[in-house]
Formats: sequence, C-alpha cells, structure tokens
Amino acid sequence: MQPDAAARAADAVQMALESGAADAFAVENESRDVEFSYRDGALEKVKDAISRNIALELYVAGRYSAHTTTDLAPDRLRAFIREAVALTRALEPDEYRKITPRELFAGRSQTDLDLLDPAVAALDRGQRLAWCGALDGAARTDARVISATAGIYDGSVASSAASSNGFSGSLHSTYCWLGSDITLKDRGDRRAEDSFYAGCTHIEDLPPAQGIGETALRRAIARLDADKGPTGRMTMVVDARAASSLVGRLLASANAYAVQQGRSFWGTRIGQRAFSEKLEIVDDPLIPRGLASRLYDAEGIAAKVLPIVTGGVIENLYVDTYYGRKADMAPTTGSPSNVRVGTGTQSLAELLEEAGEGVYVTSWLGGNADGTTGDFSLGLRGHLIENGAIGRPVGEMNVTGNLRTLFTRLEAVGNDPYPYATILAPSLLFPGVDFSGA
Amino acid sequence: MEMKRRIFLGGMAASGAVLSMPAFLAGCGIQPAKTTAAPAPENPFLQWFGVDQPTVARVLAELTAKGADGAELYFQHQRGNYLGLEDGIVSRAYSEILQGVGLRVVVGDQTGYAFTEDLTLPSMLAAARTAAAIANGGQVVPPQAFNPRQSGNLYTTTVPWEDVGVEQKLPIVQRVDRRARAADPAVQKVSVYWADVDERVMIATLDGRLVTDHRPMTRLSVQVTAKRGDATQSGFSNIAARADFGWYTDERVDRMVQEAVDRTLVLFEAVRPPAGEMPVILAAGASGILLHEAIGHGMEADFNRKGTSIYSDKLGKKVAEPFVTVVDQATIPGERGALNCDDEGNACGRTVLVENGILRSYLHDSISARQYRVTSTGSGRRESYRFAPMPRMTCTFMEAGPHTKDEIVAAVDRGIIAETYTNGQVQIGAGDYTFYVKNGWLVEGGKITAPIRDVNIIGNGPESLARITMVADDARLDTGGWTCGKNGQRVPVSQGIPTVLVSRMTVGGENAA
Repeated sequence: MQPDAAARAADAVQMALESGAADAFAVENESRDVEFSYRDGALEKVKDAISRNIALELYVAGRYSAHTTTDLAPDRLRAFIREAVALTRALEPDEYRKITPRELFAGRSQTDLDLLDPAVAALDRGQRLAWCGALDGAARTDARVISATAGIYDGSVASSAASSNGFSGSLHSTYCWLGSDITLKDRGDRRAEDSFYAGCTHIEDLPPAQGIGETALRRAIARLDADKGPTGRMTMVVDARAASSLVGRLLASANAYAVQQGRSFWGTRIGQRAFSEKLEIVDDPLIPRGLASRLYDAEGIAAKVLPIVTGGVIENLYVDTYYGRKADMAPTTGSPSNVRVGTGTQSLAELLEEAGEGVYVTSWLGGNADGTTGDFSLGLRGHLIENGAIGRPVGEMNVTGNLRTLFTRLEAVGNDPYPYATILAPSLLFPGVDFSGA
Repeated sequence: MEMKRRIFLGGMAASGAVLSMPAFLAGCGIQPAKTTAAPAPENPFLQWFGVDQPTVARVLAELTAKGADGAELYFQHQRGNYLGLEDGIVSRAYSEILQGVGLRVVVGDQTGYAFTEDLTLPSMLAAARTAAAIANGGQVVPPQAFNPRQSGNLYTTTVPWEDVGVEQKLPIVQRVDRRARAADPAVQKVSVYWADVDERVMIATLDGRLVTDHRPMTRLSVQVTAKRGDATQSGFSNIAARADFGWYTDERVDRMVQEAVDRTLVLFEAVRPPAGEMPVILAAGASGILLHEAIGHGMEADFNRKGTSIYSDKLGKKVAEPFVTVVDQATIPGERGALNCDDEGNACGRTVLVENGILRSYLHDSISARQYRVTSTGSGRRESYRFAPMPRMTCTFMEAGPHTKDEIVAAVDRGIIAETYTNGQVQIGAGDYTFYVKNGWLVEGGKITAPIRDVNIIGNGPESLARITMVADDARLDTGGWTCGKNGQRVPVSQGIPTVLVSRMTVGGENAA
C-alpha cells in the first residue's frame, strides 16, 4: 500500500508540473476508521470505512493555492489539477510564498517512532464486542444510571508525501480509543453526566476496559447534585485533563501567523520572561508511540524537539516558512505535535492541600479566549476545595481573566501529566482567579 | 484527538486553522463521474454519479440482505472554493472535492454504516456488505425501481457556483479590504475569507424514493485588527446564505464591513462587567444562540429516546411564559440553515418546539420517529457521506413578543446586553449551557452606560427559559455563518430572536480586588 501511495503522490506532483506549476507538494492520505458503539447492553452502531484523498499545494508563477479531492480516478484527477493550476494564475502574486527550502527537509530523525501496532489492524468484532461488554458492565453497576454508551474507535492513518524539490516521506500510525459516556438520574429533571476515554497508538498500552468504564462512572457520580459555587476571587486548581485544554488555549496564538497578523500576545516577548518560572512547555514530535509524533511536519520540515517556554521565558514560537518570511522569523515548525508541559513533584492531593480553599476544575464548558489580548472567559465544572480537599461539586460557573496574567501567576504544577491527549499537562495551581457563580 | 462527545456552536473558525483553509477555485466544474455506459437520461443526478437504477437497486439489495427496518444510499458530490486575502492581496486559494456514497442500514435502533469514495459497483457492494453486518436474518424486499422526487426550491439560485469564475469573486473580496482600511486610521490588518460550495445529494431509500437536492452555500467573513497606543484589538463579522453570487450586493457587503470595524473599535473602550448573577438582555438576531444551546439540542430526539436530555419528561408541560414560542424551520428561503429535504430524504418543514410556553415537539430523524410513532420532522442531517445522520437543528428562532426593546432596557436596573457571540456549548443532561459574548453593553438604572467585551455567560436551559420575562416585537434572523458541531459532525445552521430579557444568568467578569 505504502509504495503505491508514494507513487501516487509523486504522480500528482508530476501532473501539476506538466500543467504548468513551478513547484508542487502533494500528500496522499488514507485512513481506516472503525467505530463500535454499544448502548445499555446492546450494540447500537457499527461503522467501518476506508477514506482516501490527495492534497496538493501549487506554486504557479509566484502564486499559491491548495486543493484536496477524493475523486482519484486518474483522468479526473488530471483534469482537477490542470484546472487548479489554471485558476492559481488568476490570483495575486505573493513574494513570500515559496515551496519549503530543501535544507529544511534535511536532518530528519532516524528514530523509530513505533506508531504502528499490527494488532489494531487484526482487531475483530469479537474483541471489540468484548471491550464494549466490559465498558458497559462497569458503567452500569450503579442504580442511578439512565443511559451508558460505550465506544470503541480504532483505525489507522497513512500518508505519503512528495514534492517537486525532492521531498519524500511517509507516515503510518494506528490508534485505538475506548471509553464511556454516562448519564445518571439527578435531582428533579436533571441528569448528571460525564465521560472518560483512553486512547493509544498500541493496544497493549491501553488500561483495561473495565477500569476505563469505572473511571467514567466515578466521574459521572462526582457530578451528582452539583450547584453553583460562590462569586469571588479564589485559588484555582485545574486537573490534568482540563489543564491540557487550558494550555491549548494559551498556545493558540503562539505562532508566526498570529504574530504577523498582529493578533498574538506572544509576539513581542520572545526571549523575555512572560510567564511564571514554573511554566515549561516543549514541543516534542519524537516521543515513541506519541499520539502526535512525526518525523516531518505538514511542510516537510524535519521534526525536532522545540522548547517553547523555559522557566517562564518564551524561547520559540511555531513558525512555518510563509509567515516566517513575512515576519522575519526563522522557521521552526508550523503546528504543534506532542506538547510536554513541565511537571513538578506534588500530587494532585498535595496541590489541593496547598490551595486550602478555592475551586478545583475538572472540565470546561464553552467559553473562549481572544488571542490578541489574551482575555478569556470559560464555563467550568468541578468542586469547591474545602479544608485542602475535594468538596461539594459545582457547575454553572465561569472563570474570567487574561491568559498571560493567569500563567504569570502559575504557582505549582503536579506530577501527573494527562496521557490521553496530545498536550501532556499536569494539574496546575493558580491563586487569585476571578470566578462568577451564585 | 479528543474523543469526548461534545456539542458546540461556532461562529467562526478560531485561530490558525485559517492557515490551511482559505482558497478558491472557480467555474467550469470538473466533469462528473462517468464510469459505465450512461443510462437513459432519466435523472441528471444518476448521470452525475455515474450510476443507473439497476446498480442502485443491486447495492441496496446487498445492504439489506440480512434484514432492515430502514436503509438508504446517500450519494454526495460537494465542491468548495475558498479565497483568502491578507496584507492587501488575494494570494491564496483552496478548493475541495468530496465525493462518495454513504450506506446505512437500520434495524430497530441499531445502525450499520459504511461509505466509499469509489463509486464502482464492486466497491459499493463491498461497503454494503460491511454495513449489513449489523443485522442478522430478517427478510426485506428492496425496491427494483425508484420514484424520482425533486425536493422543493428554497435556494433561489439562478447561476450555480460552478459557473462563477474567480475573477468575479476577487473584486468583492478586495472591496471588503478597501472599505475596512478606509473606515478608520486605527485599522492595521484586515483578513478576508470567501467560501462558496456547490453540493449535490441523491438519496435512494428502502421504500423506493430517489430524492435529489442541489444545495448552494456561500460565506464571506472579515477580521479586523486595530491599534490605539499600545493596545491592540481584533474583531470580526461574517455573512452566509444558501444563495448565489447575486446575493452579494454592495450594501450587504459594506454593512458587514462596518459591523466588523465598529465591533473592533468599541473594544478599546470596553470593560469587563462585574462577575456574578444578573439580568441579561439578549439583543435581537444572533442571540438566537440562546435557543440553540438552552433548548434546541435538548429537543433533539436522539437524546430523548435515550433518556439523556433534561427535556426527556417535559413534552406537553409549561416551560416558559405564554409569550414564548420557539420554532425550528428549514423552509425559510435562502437561510444558511435552509433545506429542501433532510439527509434521509424526508421533507423538511416547520417544527414548533415551544408553543405559547408549552413544550410541543422534539426534532426527529427516522429512527426516533419510528420509536415515538410519529412522522419524522425532517431533522435527520449529516456532515457528509462519511457520517450517519442524526437529529439536528436547521434555522431556530423565537417569534416576536408583546414588549419593546426600550421597555426591556428600561426595566433593568443593573445588568448587561449581550450582542455578538463567537461560540456556545451545552451539556444535554444537566441542561447547563454557555455562550461567549464578544461585544455587549452595561445597563445601569435602565440606561446603556458602557461597552463590555469577552465574557462567557452560563445558565441552565429550563431555568433560563422560565426566566424569560420579556420578549420584544423586533424578531429577526441572524445572517452569520453559524456551524453546529455534534458528536464530531458539523452542519450549517441559522438562528434568530427578538430582544429578550432573561431575569438572571451567571455572567463571567471581574471581581473587585
């Protein structure tokens, strides 16, 4: 399969050149996705499909465009590319838009990222159903359960890329996610709900299905009888899973695109201390079996470990070649891979004890942040922290502030990085945070 | 990768996703698939997909060979063209062709699903066998011929997008940039994104219907960044419709630009409101996001047949004051949420969710309709052939009420007006929902006193409905390009509302030190 895909990517580049493109970068993507969903003791949905497309970037007479199609019959693909090249000529020229320089392809790591687990392709209906049964059995041990849905999502993603200036590469990885969504009877018409999913590239790294179901049930039970907490300025402890998405919001404008467009609070602070010295962020594409590991990025740039924030000092941003040229910044990589957030020595329990009183956030609900100013306001669910321990559950509250200021106040980090996300963040403690509730 | 099932509404693609998005392509569309000797010109959609009735019947027979209560083939060809302007030049374009067929078989509430992008018979038969594995035994008689049905015509398209060249679109994109820069010297950066989509669907059902629909969509958005002293602020506006090129009048485009500039410049004076519970006035139009999150999702019948919605036991009960009527209606011509037929091939219509304060009907797809023994409300939608349909909203709005906007503002002693939004989200079971207010106003002593910015508002659906104490007479639909996400599937929607007072909600804000 892979040699064919590489040949098809190279063919697409060739078609583009024959149609008059000066340069082209093509990727053939193929994925298989299987979904089993099991609700309240019975199989509810099975989905199984293979999807293929070709994505193409064209450089034509100083102009640029990108295209994707799932219609891969050779004659129609050729017509599609011919037309795409012709239309690129109708755009305005852009001096900053050039194919990735060859020197950025060089130095690709020889590391075996070990992203492909043959056992995923070998999964059969019996194994998936057994997992569903274990998840479902664990979830429905509580009489208050109204509905429990177990889900298995597994498959593989393969891509082969080629460019007119000598790039070639291929990636092949597998994934397998298991989890449950659980709804419980709560007071009045209310339902308490939560979910927990775990996923890995290799099946052997997954925790037992029953344990995943039990975690989902425990999380849902923790939501029972939640109420609004008070309005006020308090200490916030964010659990590792919620911290992963909070760091994602922080990083959303840590790139040359946002900086060059004047829409990033990161931009003018490179080399400066901008956050708490407790904050360490490293982009690490080379973690074996990592959920976002890669040997090269979307532009073909050879992947390497990239420190983003060290001791609160901004070291690097995500810089692709185009916005790098525009903003006069050296290219690093255009987008995040695995993001490691520095850990500490304290457990979550110790962080809660250190906080004494405050709010412990276990998940977010909606909200947004402005990447230009860093201002944010997020809905949250969690618990009050009372006497240094987890207290009554709260919800229907907001936390509001500025991301840069918030991470300047970061006071302690946990020892518990969340493994089932591409941002591997531990629990975080921030004092002096504005909450709105009752 | 986040597997958690979630529900959200987004007004604009956030962040650097635009890096790979904007693009274009224009007229003279790619020729349709023509694999076999073309059948008699019975149906241009069959020709488009290169299949004939016997082929469709053969695949449907394979799909239902082990039994079925329902089944369909969903053929789709979608071509999207996108243009992006940054730093004064239209220097990027993107085009995308999505073509494939989704095959679904339903037995009770069990679903088997597969799709293929290869529209040859062997490939479709293989996909049909994969999907059919959900069923075991049972006999059905699949149709041998289909009854072609053209769905209505809500889209008022005279020229399909495939016949509009990029040279026609460029001047509009450039006009947006020019007008935004000229609007105020503080404007530093302007980004403009253009999208047009031409979509053909053909749905062959187990009961012998062959439903076709040709759906246009277009969206224009602008993001403005302005600088005053050391402060930088950015804001945006966008408009979207199922319409053709003629929809873009200068007046409409200029109004959007002025909105974006106004929304950005006001941020320099805007403050965070005090945190806590207070009355919230929802400005007419985009505030329909309240209905989408606070009640719309909770009324989707899949959540109710599973018992997971907070509205599961409330049909026929009073949920709001008698002047509150909430409707989901796909049949409003040209709206972004408009649909001639849903993605199961059923006719779309008007579903009254709340009538004079009483909860009336859920939004049904064919699975829930069978279970509840009602007619489908035509709410079965999907993102593409890659997904099985489920109940979704289309255009959700509240009808006008007895009050006026001025009366509502005068009635608030200390609260806020929420005016523009970026996104929202809801938890179906607890009923808690949120929406993010980008722009709004502080109200003190019945008067508007200062602009506010960037606050999340959180409430509980049934509680908020019950707390709608005033509804004005100024109902209008928002023309923004809203996209609703549910269980990983994104579909276009629209929404609207008159000015409304919710007596108490929790507003994100700052606390006095």
